[in-house]
Amino acid sequence: MSAALELRPLQLPPHEKRKLRNGLQLHLVPRGPLPLVAVRLVMRGGSVWDPIGRAGIANFAARLLRRGAGGRTADELSEAIDFVGAALGGYANEENVVLSLSCPSKHLEPMLELMGVLLLEPDFPESELELARRRTLAQLQNELDDPGALAERAWARAMWGDHPYGHETLGQKSSVEALSRADLVNFHRTRLGPVLAHLYVVGDINVDRITTVADRIFGQWTGGPQLAPRVPDWAGPERMGEVIIVDKPEQTQVQMRIGAAGVKRGHTDHFPLTVMNAVLGGGFTSRLIREIRVKRGLSYGASSSFDMMSNAGTFMVGSFTKTENINTLIDVALAEVKKMRAKGPTSLEANTMKRYISGLYPARLETNEALAGSIADVQHYGLPDDWITRYRDRINAVTAKEAARAAASHLFDKERVIVLVGNAQQLTPKVAKYGRVSVVKPDELG
Amino acid sequence: MPKASARSTPVKLPPALGALADSVIEAKLPNGLRVRLLPNAGVPTCSYYTFFKVGARNERPGITGISHLFEHMMFNGAKKYGPGMFDKVLESNGGSSNAYTSNDLTVYYEDFMAEALETVIDLESDRMRSLAVTPKMLASERQVVMEERRLRVDNEIAGMMDEELGALVYKAHPYRWPVIGWMGDIENISREDCLDYFRTYYAPNNATIYVAGDFDPKQALAMIKKAYGNIKAGPPVPGVLDAEPEQKGERRANVHYPAQAHSLMIAWRGPKGDDPDTFVLDVVQYALSVGQSSRLNRKLVFELELAVGVSVDWTWRFDPGTFTVGLELKAGGDPAKAEAALYAELEKLAKDGLDARELEKAKNNLAGTLMRELATNSGRAHALGTYELMLGDWRRGLALPNAYERINSDDVKRVVAKYLGAERRNVVTLIPTNGVEA
Repeated sequence: MSAALELRPLQLPPHEKRKLRNGLQLHLVPRGPLPLVAVRLVMRGGSVWDPIGRAGIANFAARLLRRGAGGRTADELSEAIDFVGAALGGYANEENVVLSLSCPSKHLEPMLELMGVLLLEPDFPESELELARRRTLAQLQNELDDPGALAERAWARAMWGDHPYGHETLGQKSSVEALSRADLVNFHRTRLGPVLAHLYVVGDINVDRITTVADRIFGQWTGGPQLAPRVPDWAGPERMGEVIIVDKPEQTQVQMRIGAAGVKRGHTDHFPLTVMNAVLGGGFTSRLIREIRVKRGLSYGASSSFDMMSNAGTFMVGSFTKTENINTLIDVALAEVKKMRAKGPTSLEANTMKRYISGLYPARLETNEALAGSIADVQHYGLPDDWITRYRDRINAVTAKEAARAAASHLFDKERVIVLVGNAQQLTPKVAKYGRVSVVKPDELG
Repeated sequence: MPKASARSTPVKLPPALGALADSVIEAKLPNGLRVRLLPNAGVPTCSYYTFFKVGARNERPGITGISHLFEHMMFNGAKKYGPGMFDKVLESNGGSSNAYTSNDLTVYYEDFMAEALETVIDLESDRMRSLAVTPKMLASERQVVMEERRLRVDNEIAGMMDEELGALVYKAHPYRWPVIGWMGDIENISREDCLDYFRTYYAPNNATIYVAGDFDPKQALAMIKKAYGNIKAGPPVPGVLDAEPEQKGERRANVHYPAQAHSLMIAWRGPKGDDPDTFVLDVVQYALSVGQSSRLNRKLVFELELAVGVSVDWTWRFDPGTFTVGLELKAGGDPAKAEAALYAELEKLAKDGLDARELEKAKNNLAGTLMRELATNSGRAHALGTYELMLGDWRRGLALPNAYERINSDDVKRVVAKYLGAERRNVVTLIPTNGVEA
């Protein structure tokens, strides 16, 4: 295999940045040929900043924006949005509150107007608050039937403890029960504002026209935070060295998640780590797939991943197998991590994954939504301006040695947490050898 | 199935889709392989789809799930590229692959950097020509598929309910069994079954290739002809008989399993995928369930607060498929009330149809969905391929917005009354067994 790889140039549409007087930053990317547009208004105010006792408020309030605004009812707003085939709504993730719009370009202006109404004049009607509260509580409860979702929830708690990155974006039962209209109004007033916000518009647009329109709609927006709030530092996994079993006695299969500390977004080892992780548990030829699925038929899927946020990150190995096989699955997974940590990938493996990652990278920018998301990430995490255009070059510059060094510095040795979802009675004696075992009922994760 | 999909039915295309239609290049090799090329230099990648016209519909009791198990075997080695080589070669050439099996089709696809097209053609033609089914690989893959079944059916409530539903709606047709197959059949499918299956269904005359992306179509066609040209055509593929009798009354089944709340799946057997009534049901599906302003969302989720979520699935199939409504209830929610509310909405539709604005809304959303599908190389290849296989010609797919435009409220009334009545419905109820009242 040739080491040097000649890549066809990545043709990206121009990215125009313009700032409104109130501080709102516009990112305008005209791109055809389909008559579609994706819009993202990204505000730094996600669930990590939800106050204690009010976990989930950011996402709850964001979703409630379209259930009553500017004196228009939920039904009237939904009708206006659905009628033109648009998708418009709010949500929160860990670090951001996002208003998101996708629509045919001929309906862009009226839909942007509506986005402005949702953002600037939400009514938060009491009746809609109660309706959403009942629905969210029911969703939280029904999720307890999903083994994968249970595993993720238990894993997040075992990893983060009380750290704000552990806030579930949907919130939890007690916090959702406690939310009041005053909380929502306060959230809207204090946590959303133009100074830290970015508006991305990608698709079939005219840049000057959209600037004028955006200024008319969002130009009067004031208030909100002036400085990005800091996320507290994280001391590492809360339940280090332990084994947590979520008891679902009816299960014939066990969901497994192994967790450990990872790295922040934008870490200097980002590219070596990306290549190393692809070898370990990324593509379909990864070591985990080979050892778990191909060689032993233990599972249908196995993967490893780094989740990187502004001020902390995690590493996870995930798979599942029938209850009888759980020891083999855990042993193989731990052994593969250990081996990678000790020796890193071979140059052949590293080269293969470099081509895999860089070859497919352009497809990650194909839709307007995906391109808006990638540009927003660069902005949010403070990555270099040439992050997207030079991504493939940086991947291709990684050497096997660098990937090995990254594995040695960032993969866990003994500092890990194991979370299992399955029949606790059968599992407990089998997994006691991996650490102190505790069993929780699904309800305790509600 | 038409002899060649290149027959030129004069269909008028919406302006935005005209350029795409004009760019499609069609060819048919002497061995029957159909090739469709969709060049587009938007991003320096390609997508390569191979559609085989075979799925769970072509199976029989005893070997249910063979289509899907076989799909897995296609990644386990052929003559030139041995076990494990397919993905290794593909990934080292900047690509990734996957596949899916449905009731009607088995579909393989690769996304990759544009430079790798020739390698992908080599990989795909190698396994069509000379797949190896070794006892060792079959034994290991069988375990993987059994684990997949445990994941998607045996430990997943929606999977359990869906399996019951199929067996309720169909008495005679192969849509009766799940695509993944019964566990006992997966355990017992033999190597001979696999080889026989390969010879029957994986011949070039039963396949259609779609390539979309940044490539030179002349070169691509030459490479495809060279790679596939000497693969022998197979005998005509045996037909599938639709012996399904008319349903003469409501059918019900229960699933008892630990759960937080009741849940319902309710289905009616609809028309065939290429029946004009299918497009009317598309409109009905959207009016009922797409968006917060849709009828079932407004009624069951926001007004009566019986359901946490509502879904309607109307997947086109070769033979009459199922129009399925899924209702995920709230804990303590009464399934009888939810059913009654759903049936009342359907009766209203059968009696009054949709008003002009609702009709137009559904059509706008259907057109929007189509447009968004076409935004990527993979989406274009998949959408046009599916249209060709289902409707006989991809042009009919691109002309769908026109077909929807002609649908009126009387069509809606007629079709809802015809297919979604009480006598024809099938109801699966999930009854929680852990303390929640039954």
